Amino acid sequence: MTVSGFIIKNAFRNKRRAALCVLSVAMSLFLLVTLLVVLNEFTNPPEDAGASLRIAVRNKVSLANPLPVRQRAVIEKMAGIDGVTALTFFGGKYKNDENTFFAQFAMDPEKLTAVFGEAKMPADQLAAWIKDRTSVIVGYDTAQRYQLKIGDKFPLVGQIYPVDLDLTIAGIYRGTTDDRNVFFHQKYLDELLGDPGTVGMWWVKARSAEEVPGLIDRINAAFANTSAEVLAETERAFQMGFISMWANIKILIGSICSVVVFALVLVTASTMSMAVRERLRELSVLKALGFRRHELFAFILAESFGLAVVGLLLGGGGAWLLYNSLSASALTGGLFATLTVTPRILGTAALVATGLGVVSSLAPAWSIMRLSVVEGLKTLD
Amino acid sequence: MPVAAPIVQVRELTKVFRQGEINVTALHRINLEIAAGEFLTLMGPSGSGKSTLLHIIAGIDRPTSGDCIVQERNIGALNESELADWRNQNVGFVFQTFNLIPVLSAFENVELPLLLTQLSARDRRRQVTTALELVGLSDRMKHLPRQLSGGQEQRVAIARALVTDPQLIVADEPTGNLDSHSAADVLDILRRLSRDARKTVIMVTHDPKAAAYGTRSIHLEKGELTN
Ligand SMILES: Nc1ncnc2c1ncn2[C@@H]1O[C@H](COP(=O)(O)OP(=O)(O)O)[C@@H](O)[C@H]1O
Ligand SMILES: [Mg+2]
Repeated sequence: MTVSGFIIKNAFRNKRRAALCVLSVAMSLFLLVTLLVVLNEFTNPPEDAGASLRIAVRNKVSLANPLPVRQRAVIEKMAGIDGVTALTFFGGKYKNDENTFFAQFAMDPEKLTAVFGEAKMPADQLAAWIKDRTSVIVGYDTAQRYQLKIGDKFPLVGQIYPVDLDLTIAGIYRGTTDDRNVFFHQKYLDELLGDPGTVGMWWVKARSAEEVPGLIDRINAAFANTSAEVLAETERAFQMGFISMWANIKILIGSICSVVVFALVLVTASTMSMAVRERLRELSVLKALGFRRHELFAFILAESFGLAVVGLLLGGGGAWLLYNSLSASALTGGLFATLTVTPRILGTAALVATGLGVVSSLAPAWSIMRLSVVEGLKTLD
Repeated sequence: MPVAAPIVQVRELTKVFRQGEINVTALHRINLEIAAGEFLTLMGPSGSGKSTLLHIIAGIDRPTSGDCIVQERNIGALNESELADWRNQNVGFVFQTFNLIPVLSAFENVELPLLLTQLSARDRRRQVTTALELVGLSDRMKHLPRQLSGGQEQRVAIARALVTDPQLIVADEPTGNLDSHSAADVLDILRRLSRDARKTVIMVTHDPKAAAYGTRSIHLEKGELTN
């Protein structure tokens, strides 16, 4: 027998209690990892390869205010750009689906490759889409969800705009961080709306990352003091702006995390206290045999650490396996495009487990410190 | 008087327990010498201070005043961790209620004190096997305490007490929970330890028949020695 063998035998002497404790640690850590993943998706949305090169241009007043089409020609002439496309958020419903979780955008199809190059599809599909004014390309995830194939009708019912779109699927793309979005012709929308002469936003792709800051300044300056002043910003800044609307949810999730951790500490601390209290007599015997306080304390610490680590492996590892193998959009009904368990989140869970091991052995440590052999021998089994 | 130099010298030993406002004098100015190799039995009515005296000699309790010198060391002067080492090397304990660790096999229970030594696994195995042979339990090494009879459990406890080869073996009513047959086995082993292995055995007992196994018997009454 070795000392570690002794510790393991002790930890599992009450198998049901050890199992329950490990399970509650595992489940709480699973919950914690889940919450942190969700929090992370809110805070750090995934980025495409092209994200660092893309500039989002919106009306300075608000996102809801449109931009005049004449701005396109001005931006197109600027040096250092690869392309510019209109991007108008349609915000409609697919058929009668109350929860239409994918976003629908009107854009300039011939600019897709230049601006959103990550969206990959066969060349003939792209060509077909560009050619047909009433066609649409659908993200792979959405196509999967509704069992769609090329040639299918894809009707969208307007919620913001008073028009319904009668679209046909020309292509199915994949490769972006959010393969749910669908894209159709800005021209088709304009036509149905009677050519209002406006678009929702401009999206610009810079030729290189060095060009981005200068381009942003030039775009902002170009329309300063016009009837439609713009706010140009990086894609990331634009998305963060969206996300700050979720600030309260982040606080909520953060506080649930704290409560989870706190409850976890109570559970493991009480398990360890019980484990030690019922063993005071044995611990006294060990002391009589010559074991010192710090050795006994090390046994207890190792035991509570062991329980916490097994819980971590089950809960944290389980979450890691689950979220890395399942489709996030299917799992969350389309709310999140990805659910990534980052090394940082696993690190946090490990830190919590470690802290748990230490904190839950504090009370037992105190009993051991005060334990007198003679007193301990008098306690009944 | 024994010829050999005393292994234990108790001088003017007093132990007072404080229970709230009341002081309980468990031992009052005890003087006692025990020679190496003696099998001393400690008798007396319940509450007379037998266990307290044994605890102090064995270094798990401390005197209120007076000295307890074992093998020429004043054990009252040792600090906690020196005392722990000293116990590990010099004292073997046998308790009334056996006090084996329920999740460990007989072998592992006996091996426990050796985990504190520098011995290799092989040496530990040899010593544990020898100790278990000595108490006649070589065939029960893998058994858990609950798979053993009371008498066997107590013999495992004796093996655990002597596995480190200590000079002193203390036993507090070791036969108190045993039937007379098992008690005789246990007492026989303790007698052999003192007679053949020259161990000093101090045993607390109520039972005059048990005391008859010893080489000398002393009586405590209300914390004082009476002879
Ligand atoms: N921890 C303690 N606190 C208070 N009194 C104690 C304590 N331990 C022993 N005593 C008292 O000391 C006396 C002697 O006890 P003990 O040595 O256990 O007696 P014995 O073993 O002879 O039955 C008793 O009166 C007992 O009540
Ligand atoms: Mg007693």
